[in-house]
Amino acid sequence: MNKIFYPKLALTNLKKNADTYVPYILTCIGSIIAFYTMISFYGNKGLDEMPGSINLKTILFLGTIVIGIFSTIFLFYTNSFLIKRRKKELGLYSILGMEKKHIARVLFYETVVVTIVSLTLGLLGGILIGKLLYLLLLKLLHFTTPIQFYIDGRGLLITAGIFLVIFFLTLLTNFIQVKMANPINLLKGGEQGEKEPKSSWIVTLFGIISLGIGYGIALTVKSPVEAILLFFVAVIFVIIGTYALFTSGSIALLKVLKKNKNFYYQSRNFISVSGMIYRMKQNAVGLANICILSTMVLVTISTTVSLYIGQESMMRDMYHFDMIVVGENTGNDEALVAESIQKTAEQRGVNPTDQINLRLGNLTAFLEGDHFMPDLVAKEDKDNNYYTTKTDVWLIPLEDYNKMSDTSTDLNENEVMIFSVGDNYNQKTMTFGDRSFSVKENLQTFPLNNKKAELVGKTCYIIVKDEGVIADIQNNLYPDNNSKSLLFGKFFNLEGNDEAKLAFSENVFQQVEGINPDIDKASYYVSLTEWYSIFGGFLFLGVFLGTLFMMATVLIIYFKQISEGYEDRDRFEIMQKVGMDKAEVKKTIGKQILMVFFLPLAGATIHVAFAFRVMAKMLAAFRLTDTGLILICTIVVTLIYALIYALVYWWTAKAYYKLVK
Amino acid sequence: MSLLEVKSLQKIYTTRFGGNQVQALSNVSFSVENGEYLAIMGESGSGKTTLLNILASLDKPTGGEVFLDGNNIVKIKDSEISAFRRDNLGFVFQDFNLLDTFSIQDNIFLPLVLSQKPYEEMNKRLKPLSKKLGIDEILPKYPYEISGGQKQRTAVARALITNPKLILADEPTGALDSKAAMNLLKIFSEINEAGQTILMVTHSIAAASHAKRVLFIKDGEIYNQIYRGSMNNDEMYQKISMTLTVLATGGVKGE
Repeated sequence: MNKIFYPKLALTNLKKNADTYVPYILTCIGSIIAFYTMISFYGNKGLDEMPGSINLKTILFLGTIVIGIFSTIFLFYTNSFLIKRRKKELGLYSILGMEKKHIARVLFYETVVVTIVSLTLGLLGGILIGKLLYLLLLKLLHFTTPIQFYIDGRGLLITAGIFLVIFFLTLLTNFIQVKMANPINLLKGGEQGEKEPKSSWIVTLFGIISLGIGYGIALTVKSPVEAILLFFVAVIFVIIGTYALFTSGSIALLKVLKKNKNFYYQSRNFISVSGMIYRMKQNAVGLANICILSTMVLVTISTTVSLYIGQESMMRDMYHFDMIVVGENTGNDEALVAESIQKTAEQRGVNPTDQINLRLGNLTAFLEGDHFMPDLVAKEDKDNNYYTTKTDVWLIPLEDYNKMSDTSTDLNENEVMIFSVGDNYNQKTMTFGDRSFSVKENLQTFPLNNKKAELVGKTCYIIVKDEGVIADIQNNLYPDNNSKSLLFGKFFNLEGNDEAKLAFSENVFQQVEGINPDIDKASYYVSLTEWYSIFGGFLFLGVFLGTLFMMATVLIIYFKQISEGYEDRDRFEIMQKVGMDKAEVKKTIGKQILMVFFLPLAGATIHVAFAFRVMAKMLAAFRLTDTGLILICTIVVTLIYALIYALVYWWTAKAYYKLVK
Repeated sequence: MSLLEVKSLQKIYTTRFGGNQVQALSNVSFSVENGEYLAIMGESGSGKTTLLNILASLDKPTGGEVFLDGNNIVKIKDSEISAFRRDNLGFVFQDFNLLDTFSIQDNIFLPLVLSQKPYEEMNKRLKPLSKKLGIDEILPKYPYEISGGQKQRTAVARALITNPKLILADEPTGALDSKAAMNLLKIFSEINEAGQTILMVTHSIAAASHAKRVLFIKDGEIYNQIYRGSMNNDEMYQKISMTLTVLATGGVKGE
């Protein structure tokens, strides 16, 4: 009998505490599903065959780690909540004569049941949802490759292993709690912590400064490269600031309100301010968590959605032409390339349009004033700084320029025209070594590229009188360099259906590779498929992580409402006895909860507002410069999130009223 | 006219599905004059708490009427009942019912804040009251920092600060040690001397022996009553315990 007594008691306990254990088990199942899904994606062989799979796998790997850490923190949080709620019950057992080791045994069996249920349902759910999400991901990637769905044995094992460890650790902390407490403490465990919270001005000030630094960094970020580097620093400052302000700042503020006698002794303020002071003390960390999680949800989903929606326009900025082939004019490379293009176009049924064929010279240099200085940096010294300061110079003979832009400009030996991507070239003259030119015209449009600033480094196109001048410039700048031959360039767009265009691009790539591997080639369509896979992966991850964070937020809110309901029940009973009517009680509760729960949302919105500049800069690193689009995406995502948040609030508030009534 | 008049009060509890009926009060009538100090005694389950809840307008009777200062509190609308309770009645409970979220001062202010009195007036009322009850030094403290006796005196202050017509006390000494209980009863006698009407429900003979009149309830009916007359507390104590003995051994009603 003794053998089944404890498991039976454990089962009964779980059933009796279903109110709180069902959400807890759901949390466990959700975390397991999320973790397994990520890890099985990561391990999927089919993914390797996709373009851009390396990027995607890195993202998935990072995602797996994030989910792992997050699940651990979250399960610990909910577990500590549960055990706090149940201390009274455990204290009763010990008063009724159960020894601590017996209580431990009950706790052990409870954990076993929770573990078995969560792991079974979680892994099954993971396999099922894995299949579903897999199809979704493939759809997002614009791919129809039929990658076989499979059950990842290794992933199942890793997931089970990690969650067993997590469950074991929560059990361990529960043991320690029971061991440390005497029965009286256990009995009163649920009621402890009623002391008036202290507010520390130092912590508050620290929080304000920290938040200020974080916001300051976010607001002053200049370049996209800087944005990516500093973003994490800013995030850390903002997180620290958020915690400090929620824990200490909120109480300090409420105390200031309390000191104002005329404000404080108004019936509604009276109850909400004093209630909030207590509530903040117990919930500050939870609310700060919600605030940070919400911010994460908003930032990840907004950026990934922006990227996904904006990618075609981004690609268009990067690729002014559907296809570009640039190679050295040696042998009959150019003729072979032209032939390949023509033949493949016929085969694939596409039609090259807007064709521009020209000769050009290429060099890199550093621009100082009006002097183009030679680029003598050794290959191994080419660092970030090099790439941001160098200038790519394309030299084009006047004849070819006139042909492609359908103009008939004249230039003499010492005159040039310049098209500078991004900022204008502001000098009247320019010098390469000993050779100087006067700038005849600063072009504002150019057939080969658009004016939008380059992300890294600068590019300019210089039109000179003829090929002789090009050679002269190259000789002046690099007297010792031998490979100064003129290049040929082919720029054209494609007409036809999308699949044919992609197939054409891939075929031409292959053939050009065969002609001469040194020939540069770029295709909008090839890149687009690559980027679809990357951004689709981003979007998938963003939405996935967003959903996960959201789930966590929902559960935190639920647990808070329930725990507060238990505590507030008595307080509102007393107030009713003293002469507060039901409607007023309900109004007060409503106002109080509303303030407490929308505080994190307000905090998150402010965070996102400050983060917006960094987000835009970071997206600019992906070539997404359409701030309007990003703004719209962010606002829409925030609104949807607020709506979901409000629904959750409404749903849990109902559970709360039921408890208090 | 009497301050409080209770006429053939009846309360029947029905279980949710209608099966069993429990008669908590069968026919209770009595009245309380202005300035009286009345104790109601009875065993557990005799109906005293039900009676008190009805007087406190926390519960509705099944039949009968209750008049406070001429107003039938049974007929007061739900929306007005809280304000009525706040303005006319003061409560002292066995378990104090102080809110941990408020300091002692704010606990006392609570009913006044609810009726939206200005701070200056609240403060003016608090000063003499807290001095009289000996709690003026603990005003900034919180309920978990003070003793049971101090908590109960705080509750008394909260009940008195609205200048209620009637103080309703439910086992006020129930959770106090004997010294604190005596102290509280002394305070009750003092405020009664000063003209405050008190109605106290209690188990404790010592508590009841301070009252001017004691009503005994058994099985939902008034069983007997004792007037103090010229008796002192000890004689009153004797008389009450005799009555209780008779009550417990099953004496006939109206003896």
